[in-house]
Amino acid sequence: MYGNAYIETDGSKVHSIIADEDPIKLALFEARIAAGDKIEPKDWMPKEYRKQLIRMIEQHGHSEIIGSLPEGTWITRAPGFRRKLALMAKVQDEVGHAQLLYSAAETLGKSREDMTNDLINGKSKYSNVFNYPAPTWADSAIIAWLIDAGAIVNQLANSKGSYGPYCRALERICAEESFHLKYGHDNVVFLATGTPIQRQMVQNALHRWWEPIMHFFGPPDKSSQHSEILMRWKLKMGSNDSMRQTFLAMYVPKIWDLGLTLPDPNLRKNEESGFWEYTEPNWEVFKQVINGNGPCNKERLAVRRMAEEKGRWVRKALMNQGAMYVSPLS
Amino acid sequence: MIIQSLDPRISRARLDDQSCDGQLSEHEHFETFEVFQQVKRGTHHQHVGSLHAPNPEMAILFAKEQYCRRGKSVNLWVVKTSDVFVTDYEDADIFETTEDKKYRDPEAYKVMDRINAYKARLNP
Amino acid sequence: MEFTQKHVLGLKELLYKMADDQLILGHRNSEWTGLGPMLEEDISFSSMAQDKIGQSLALFELLQELGESDPDTVAFTRNDNQFHCSQFVELPIGGYDFSLVRHFFFDHAEAIRFEMLADTVFEPLAMVAKKFKGEIKYHTMHADIFMKKLAEGGPESYGLIQQAINDNFGLALGIFEPGEYESELIEAGIFGGENALQSRWLAKVVPLLESFGYTVPKVENTAPALGGRKGIHTHHLQPLLDEMTEVFSIDPGADW
Repeated sequence: MYGNAYIETDGSKVHSIIADEDPIKLALFEARIAAGDKIEPKDWMPKEYRKQLIRMIEQHGHSEIIGSLPEGTWITRAPGFRRKLALMAKVQDEVGHAQLLYSAAETLGKSREDMTNDLINGKSKYSNVFNYPAPTWADSAIIAWLIDAGAIVNQLANSKGSYGPYCRALERICAEESFHLKYGHDNVVFLATGTPIQRQMVQNALHRWWEPIMHFFGPPDKSSQHSEILMRWKLKMGSNDSMRQTFLAMYVPKIWDLGLTLPDPNLRKNEESGFWEYTEPNWEVFKQVINGNGPCNKERLAVRRMAEEKGRWVRKALMNQGAMYVSPLS
Repeated sequence: MIIQSLDPRISRARLDDQSCDGQLSEHEHFETFEVFQQVKRGTHHQHVGSLHAPNPEMAILFAKEQYCRRGKSVNLWVVKTSDVFVTDYEDADIFETTEDKKYRDPEAYKVMDRINAYKARLNP
Repeated sequence: MEFTQKHVLGLKELLYKMADDQLILGHRNSEWTGLGPMLEEDISFSSMAQDKIGQSLALFELLQELGESDPDTVAFTRNDNQFHCSQFVELPIGGYDFSLVRHFFFDHAEAIRFEMLADTVFEPLAMVAKKFKGEIKYHTMHADIFMKKLAEGGPESYGLIQQAINDNFGLALGIFEPGEYESELIEAGIFGGENALQSRWLAKVVPLLESFGYTVPKVENTAPALGGRKGIHTHHLQPLLDEMTEVFSIDPGADW
């Protein structure tokens, strides 16, 4: 479950970044991408391409493993067999996605251990939404439906990107997340069409999650030379705003269809332009949360530290001294 | 400070947010294995991805759930990544087949024209 | 042979204790999801927890066919004294040492129980037993490999696992607490009985653990943790149930 990469967009550096590269190799690399061919792990690639890819795939992997926590909050309390089994499978899938993504990032030369250390030291980012708590069962339903929906918009676009291992991981992930989306929708529909208590619960959760969902796709686009290059290299497959638009167009009607309200009086489709209009969410809050000051940042990282720590004796015992680590093939 | 979580699992762990550093040392998550899945007898095993495991037995246990928990499978192979020999993409030109290698393909053998011409010659 | 009322009661008792064991252990083991010692093992362990809950659902469905309430009502509205699980399965997950040893002891018992039930005269149960054979085989395979590798993994892991074996052997023996209708079940060919199951289990796990290098306490020196089958539980079960049913009981009449 991942929105958009929080890529540094420092336009001024761009020229020097490319100036360093071998122009012939760069031209071949760009021609390959322009022709719709994929880049594979041992291929020559610009340093900036590798750096941004690692950052993006790593952030995505972290978002999956941290993303298992807010919904995990309800794993022991899911009401009834059907929900209990589905939620367990869903949270399990998120862990599985982290596994796939870390492997894809490893092909670029960063080890799982380094990525994990950067996560628990607060050096790497992950999707902001997972720094919010899930205080009721309905919150877990909203996450499963709408955060997964947002993630699918992003991931489907990125699965058409240029890096082979990332595309392959995303294809598998998207297939699994279509179950999440169906499960989440089913869960929300049961609450929205259920008893007054259930309906109120899901309405409240939806209001709580609306701003984080609007934040999910990242800040409004500022065109820069840097993002032009990232687009050309097919690292960034859609602008933040266009993904947000796709999401709104697909899901706001479905939300309204259930008679649920959203906490934005300006939200409407402009029939002339075809675009959705909305109140900009508070981007200052977004910045605060991403810099570690959200309601759950500390807990999320402490939980990951604990998990690694608790498992250490098991890993130590299983360690094979003769093991020879090489990065995964593809 | 003990973390008070909305997640009862976390509250039970009585987690002190400063209690451990969790830092991993190099290769603490073992080496990697490549996973090959066969979905049906008679078909080829297909490479489906990789995973980290301390030994081949556990690699099989993990591969079964990470790569085969949905759909059908009948057999699995795991191979240490370090044991796989691979070609370089830079050497992909070794796979290029030139036009004059057509003699390896069935399409290169079109005899009907010749047969028809022969028949025409016999029975003008 | 015709089932008498005692046979039906015995059958229900058997199904309840099996279903409750699986539900509670599956619930406990699900707590590791997202918190396991490595990503790959996290996924495997979660699958096995899901399997347990799926198996318990299948057994609650059999009970429903025998006239009991629907599975959700049965699982989510009873108090601890109405549960028939063994005390072993209700204990908190503890560290991975405890969770693994419980997984090893319990799943071997379950594998043998299902093997015995594959021939039961109660056809629907035989079908369930056969259906889950593969799942359970994976569980014991997983448990065996972990127990073996942790025995070979140096004094720390060997020591932790050996300690967990010593501490929990009596709890594991509590799985085999006889029910009220043992002789009726045996006589009717429904189930071969807890004593037979315990003997077969001992014949399986003791040599296996010894082959890994562990020592196993003597049965005759170990007090089994009894009571669970009769609704007598540790102080851990009721809080588990309160937590499990928290959402369900907000509105028990609602469709969740």
